[in-house]
Amino acid sequence: MAAAVAVPSSILPSVRFRRRILLLAASLAALGAGLLYLKIDPVAIFRDFHYVVGLLDEMFPPNLRLLWVKKGLWLSVLQTVAMAFLGTLVGASIAIVLAFLASVNTAPSRPVRLIVRTLLATERCTPNIVVLLVLLVAVGIGPFAAMISLCIGSVGMFGKLFADAIEQVDPLPGEAIAAAGAAPLQVIRYAILPQIAPSIVANVFYAFDVNLRLAVTLGVFGGGGLGFELHVARSVLRYKDMFACLILVMILINVMERIADFFRRRLFLREVELR
Amino acid sequence: MNLGDFSLGRYRRRVIPAAVFVAIVIGAALLCEVSFSDFVKGIVKGLSLLTFFFPPDWAAFPEMIRPALVTIVICLIATPIGAAFSIVFGLAGARNIAPDWLRLVSRSIIAAERGLPEIVTLLVLVAAFGLGPLAGVMALAIGSIGMLGKLLADAIEEIDPRILDATAAVGATHWQVIRHAVLPEVLPSLVANSIFRFEVNIRASVLLGAVGAGGIGYELNAAINQLEYSRATVAALLSLLLVFLSERLSDRLRSRIIGAGRLG
Repeated sequence: MAAAVAVPSSILPSVRFRRRILLLAASLAALGAGLLYLKIDPVAIFRDFHYVVGLLDEMFPPNLRLLWVKKGLWLSVLQTVAMAFLGTLVGASIAIVLAFLASVNTAPSRPVRLIVRTLLATERCTPNIVVLLVLLVAVGIGPFAAMISLCIGSVGMFGKLFADAIEQVDPLPGEAIAAAGAAPLQVIRYAILPQIAPSIVANVFYAFDVNLRLAVTLGVFGGGGLGFELHVARSVLRYKDMFACLILVMILINVMERIADFFRRRLFLREVELR
Repeated sequence: MNLGDFSLGRYRRRVIPAAVFVAIVIGAALLCEVSFSDFVKGIVKGLSLLTFFFPPDWAAFPEMIRPALVTIVICLIATPIGAAFSIVFGLAGARNIAPDWLRLVSRSIIAAERGLPEIVTLLVLVAAFGLGPLAGVMALAIGSIGMLGKLLADAIEEIDPRILDATAAVGATHWQVIRHAVLPEVLPSLVANSIFRFEVNIRASVLLGAVGAGGIGYELNAAINQLEYSRATVAALLSLLLVFLSERLSDRLRSRIIGAGRLG
């Protein structure tokens, strides 16, 4: 006779099966409750599907003639890219300065560090739309407001990342050149900056990617660029035009991703060569 | 010192890239209609505007609780739906599981979707289904499919092939390999990514709400459009709180999952 082996009941297939079914049922019930709370009728998706078919019918074929008939369209494509580019550039520059003020090893004093850290944390939690809605009133409708709000968003997003990178640098090179008589700014320039440069470059490329999408998004709210064209086309129910803009957005984002990848790879290659 | 020191050849390495860069920045600034006087005016105007935002109109707080809940529920529904569909796209987009044609189809759909910001998806869906949370849920779910599907497909392709071979060697069918070798391997990272996506969705849903998906974003946009700034402050603070809490929650849950290594 085989001796009875103590098996924890939690690994018995029957128990595991029951637990799994229970979990599934609970999640489905939660999902149903959520739909009920939002007063969404899931069946309506299929019942009202003729609306989707109708919309597709109106959208096809995309009015691609727009691309060469409407001169302003290319300008708004460039505008969207320019917003993302400037927002990332200016935002990252400010973020680097703030990051040095927010790191334990470079902050001039404790109160300054805490204030800057708090500011960055608050900004990171503020949805971009809040910033944009305020800026649209303050600066006026247009790409400038969207650019500033992208800038502010990038500062929040990257201030913390850069600060964390600065806090993780190896302190020995800095101590060595400080012992040789380097001023704090020289320590930052010659010991800390070289160590965090790769992280800055990688994050800036990532920020550009995020900001390009946001530039389209903020455009819808009056920030100009391609998003605004899309919004206008939809508001006046010219769905064929909207579809053309949509395709343009898709292509633009994928192409810019490729271009950013190309530059990133070249930059990193050069860095490896220098070593 | 001679003329050669100032030759173009010597400075070409730095001067020309710098000049091109400056030209690009100036061009971008012109396109963005950057104007210093607008900026200065904006600061003055913005500061005087801020006095309208404060103090917050706390009387509006009770009316804002339901929209805030709507925002949370929208994300709670959209994220799991997106995660469930992303398993299909993830499996279909992995080289070691799916045939080449299927991989190409799945990867192209994911790439196309990732090229569309949520708001663009939402604008189309609003045209089809009308304003309301349904369009918001669908836009966020579709956005989640794009991101989670790509991450999942990449994770599946990185699975150690020996695990799949071993499972197949003891006689597992294709589906059994997926069920018993692939899914247990990638499910923890899918759960962790979904939790992160939930956080992203909370941020996005504030934005989407402003276009008409309902929730706190809608209240915020409506309050600003009706010039009820002190009311808008309440909505803004509430959405700030939502984002903050979701970030905290997602950080904590994810570190627990990654700390535990795997689920179950």
